[in-house]
Amino acid sequence: MSTPVPIPPLPGPEEADAETLGMIADAVAAYAVPDVARTRRVRDSAEGFDAKVWRDMAEQGWLGVLVPEGQGGLALGLEAAAAIARRLGYAAFPEPYVPVAVLAARVLSRAPESALRDDLLARLVAGDLLPGVAWQGVRGGIDVTGTHVRAVPAGDGVHLGGESRFIPVPGADGFIVSASADGGLGLYWAEAGQEGVDVAAERAADGTRSLRVTFSDALVPAENCLAAPGEGAAILRAALAEATVAASAEMTGLIERALDITLDYLRTREQFNRPIGSFQALQHRAVDLWIQKELARTTLDATVRALAGGAGNLDGWETAASSLKARAAIAGRLVAGQSVQLHGAIGFTDEYELGVYVNRALVLAAWLGNAAEHQRRFGARAPIGGALPGQVKGEGRS
Amino acid sequence: MTAYGVPQERDWDALTDEEFREHIRAEFVANYPAHLRYPPRRLRWRDLEDWYRRMARKGWIAPAWPAEYGGMGLSASKLLIFLEEQERHGIARFQDHGILMIGPVLMRFGTEDQRRRFLPGILSCDEIWCQGYSEPGAGSDLASLRTRAVADGDHFVINGQKIWTTLAQDATHIFVLARTDPDVKKQEGISFLLVDIATPGIEVRPIRDIAGHEEFCEVFFDNVRVPAENLVGGLNRGWTVAKSLLGFERVSLGSPKFAEYGLHVLVETAEACGVLDDPVFRDKLAGLQLDVAHLANAYHHFAGILTRGEPLGPDVSLLKIWSTETFQRIADLIIETAGAAGGLAGEVDVGAAEINVLAAYYKARPATIYGGSNEIQRNIIARNVLGLPAG
Repeated sequence: MSTPVPIPPLPGPEEADAETLGMIADAVAAYAVPDVARTRRVRDSAEGFDAKVWRDMAEQGWLGVLVPEGQGGLALGLEAAAAIARRLGYAAFPEPYVPVAVLAARVLSRAPESALRDDLLARLVAGDLLPGVAWQGVRGGIDVTGTHVRAVPAGDGVHLGGESRFIPVPGADGFIVSASADGGLGLYWAEAGQEGVDVAAERAADGTRSLRVTFSDALVPAENCLAAPGEGAAILRAALAEATVAASAEMTGLIERALDITLDYLRTREQFNRPIGSFQALQHRAVDLWIQKELARTTLDATVRALAGGAGNLDGWETAASSLKARAAIAGRLVAGQSVQLHGAIGFTDEYELGVYVNRALVLAAWLGNAAEHQRRFGARAPIGGALPGQVKGEGRS
Repeated sequence: MTAYGVPQERDWDALTDEEFREHIRAEFVANYPAHLRYPPRRLRWRDLEDWYRRMARKGWIAPAWPAEYGGMGLSASKLLIFLEEQERHGIARFQDHGILMIGPVLMRFGTEDQRRRFLPGILSCDEIWCQGYSEPGAGSDLASLRTRAVADGDHFVINGQKIWTTLAQDATHIFVLARTDPDVKKQEGISFLLVDIATPGIEVRPIRDIAGHEEFCEVFFDNVRVPAENLVGGLNRGWTVAKSLLGFERVSLGSPKFAEYGLHVLVETAEACGVLDDPVFRDKLAGLQLDVAHLANAYHHFAGILTRGEPLGPDVSLLKIWSTETFQRIADLIIETAGAAGGLAGEVDVGAAEINVLAAYYKARPATIYGGSNEIQRNIIARNVLGLPAG
């Protein structure tokens, strides 16, 4: 493997003691109460998210937990962001917390200092700006070199050309565009309404919107360059690793809620004059779902601990994030599908609460790389032969 | 001075975790016999006696015991390091029920006389213990056991039969769950007794398993007289004593070491068969690597609870389920990878190497049965963690 690439630094330190984390967790739990009626209303609205909820989240500081203090954030770090995302997942919030407050915030935080960067971050934290990160091509993929957007020099700026997809930020005000240029990946800020930027929305399984953006010689002035060609890849990779962890935290919360709903049903639904949860076949299946949830939860905790604080290198971060996302996606899809089965027909109706979680699980499982993609990357990078360090090959057999 | 075992060579707390790790590893690397690393099955006492008596002389035989009882008295983090290094070096397990079970039981439930009588023999490895729990009619439903112990003066007289007793042929002593009151609820009439296997009336018969090994035994009791002072935890309190060991057993059976060993053999087999770079194989391997990595995360979560001295909940059963079933999936893929050689016994030619491709399969088979079958573990979780109603 090539020389380890260090994590691009943040402009300021981050710290969260147990007390602060506990307060954040309590505040989010009090606010983000499962309310699928609201989730459905938002889903069926034209905007695709609830502006009041977004303002509330900004006022509580949640949009700024990953933003340095100098840029108006709380600088609490990944543990706080993961705790927030997990609870939002539990309540099936459709608002784009991870795409904006983790992915975009982290790309901007790790970008080189500039007036634009600080302005974008300050507006993001205040809830006044919804930036999307445009980095995937039309087929998706988890390698940042897969971008379909090119940056071609034009005067002292660039022209962006190409297409980007899978940006789950409804009504995005603009895009942080990852574009290939001579010299490597650069990051550019393009306004949603500017000439040459055409935004279309694809409807996701849970009713949220996923943006697909076409750039046709969109002119980006020099001052809108957030990271010069060659500097963008490391920044984006670090931010994606953190966003992948946060998305897995959201999925973990979702799994916890779907399982709670299903276990309640098993305890109370009666057939053959007894609660169906007393049947051993169903009990054992429920246990297997719960085991997947516990694997996701303990792996989430271990991964957050490993990344919080910024130690390590990019390959290591990506391997850890892949390990976690693969589990979260496997567990999420399994729990969602089996929860429907354990309910019977009611679980397949839109009226019942469970469906909101099932559909959200499909969205989160596919976003930022699905289980198969992350398993493949994990397998390609994990030490082969299992964890027997110090073992000389073949020596162990007796 | 310590009343038990040998004094520790140094104050372990004075070392950093890294220094401690280096110190432990150096001993293992320098002195553990290379041919005994990562054995494909449980080894016998005759193979391991030299090494474990060395550990006993060094005072390292009981890393988890407090120093006042002759253990190493390690902190939580250093104990984990010790166990990790032991596993990493592939050190074989002996019949260690004395260290893992009887010691902790006597520290918690035993009398001072019982500790003085039995702890030194465990620490010196002069006395080796095995576990007399299962019976022909009491497997998953252990509490229905029928081996009787009847008070007779200052003795109990035991009659009955135990089965699946691991390595009883290596043991000098056996701890026995026996029914002392047949007229009460089945869990409430059981007592925990310490028995010398040399007592007249005991017969040990090894059982040959489907792998051709003799790792477990039947133990017969015919009017076996056991001194009353060998009763632990009080009359009819045996179920409580036995249950106190279950959490610990589920953590140790949930260690990722079996699955990690399996992955190692799997990769060696794939390499020898020339399919290591085959994308289909690699995808299956990656899935199993994930399963093992996440087992390790869950294991460290529970090991942390245990070493902090906090009580384990019934959720610990997940470790045993996930570790043993992951190990079985790995063992299955080893056999699949070996192709036609997957049906051959012992060390067999699989191309570029000779590998025992069935060892993991045979080792993984009983793992989902012993220590409370995985079905019983699922019942426990369903009832006591998920709150599902009784059938």
